[in-house]
Amino acid sequence: MKRLALFFLPLAACAMTEPPVSEMAAAREMVAQARAIAAQDAPQDLATAQSKLAHAEAAMQREHYEHARLLAQQAEADAKLAWTNAEKLQAQRALREERSGR
Amino acid sequence: MKTSLKLSLMAAVLAAGGCATLSPEAERQLEEARASYRFVSEDPRVQRYAAVELASASTALREAERLAAEGGSPELVEHNAYLAERRSRTALGTAQIRQVEADIAVAREDRRRTQLEAREREAAAARARAEQAEAARREAEQRAQLLARERVEKEKVSVAATELAAEVKRLETELADVRAKQTDRGWILTLKNELLFDSGGATLKSGAQRALDNLAQFLRKHPERDLAIEGFTDSIGSPDSNQRLSERRAHAVKDALTGRGIESWRIHARGYGPSFPVASNATETGRQLNRRVEIVINPS
Repeated sequence: MKRLALFFLPLAACAMTEPPVSEMAAAREMVAQARAIAAQDAPQDLATAQSKLAHAEAAMQREHYEHARLLAQQAEADAKLAWTNAEKLQAQRALREERSGR
Repeated sequence: MKTSLKLSLMAAVLAAGGCATLSPEAERQLEEARASYRFVSEDPRVQRYAAVELASASTALREAERLAAEGGSPELVEHNAYLAERRSRTALGTAQIRQVEADIAVAREDRRRTQLEAREREAAAARARAEQAEAARREAEQRAQLLARERVEKEKVSVAATELAAEVKRLETELADVRAKQTDRGWILTLKNELLFDSGGATLKSGAQRALDNLAQFLRKHPERDLAIEGFTDSIGSPDSNQRLSERRAHAVKDALTGRGIESWRIHARGYGPSFPVASNATETGRQLNRRVEIVINPS
């Protein structure tokens, strides 16, 4: 739950004025990629990434851009880790199949 | 008063720390990020296969350290520490994926080679089996051919021997006083001298002509055979003259046959005088048997 801690942080005093467009785009793309392969093999990290992305989108709506930027960056990092771990598990399964002669 | 003091203290703290001092939670997350990064960056696979991911983890960690050192906001320290920790784990995972992919390639190559070897072994075994079968078939064929040839040869020989025996028997019946017998040397026709020659002479009697006609005819029919003509006498008289007489008589028979068209080289004429008697020289009957010409029809 510590990962959600940021949700409840008060907005930073020195807020960004510009909307984090590229961070949001990167987060959306990475979450979509992770969703395609990680639902079974890395469900927790995927759920965290999706949840953070949703909160980032909401922060964007409220024009809380600094908050949205941090959430988007974390969502992207979580999604990338989910994707990587899922990919790793699938590769390990492929290796076992290859070695057992299929 | 109390309240205003509190407020002014808070204001002082805020002013001194910029946004805030490092919270225990931020400190904990930063320490976790450092440990995670240190562990991951020491892995040679990560250095080799996940340099980009490791670099982005390093960037976040340095940012977290900088903010912590400069008294930046705890939430930004936490944020960057969090990114550093996630990216470190991503770098490790990426390196592990590359490692597993390399292992898969090796396993696939192993399997391909194993299959190839198995196929090659199978093909070689099939080839060997086919060659063996072919060799066995050829050998059987050769053996069959050999047996067939041997059978034909044997039949030919046996047919020839049967024919020869029949003809010799016919000669024997056609020629009065001729005895035929089969020996290791071949057929031997024994002609009494009385049939062929006057006593003491080596000139063939006219009565011998028919016998020699028959013999010549027989030899013409069997060009593969040759003859030994051997003259013998009894023991009356000097051995030398008997020897010469037996030779002259053998040659007379040979000349009669060559005169009938038989090649001279097929006939070997010899005289043995009184040697090799076939009966006792003590009686006239015995001496009569010893005075003889033997015609040996050699095996072909």
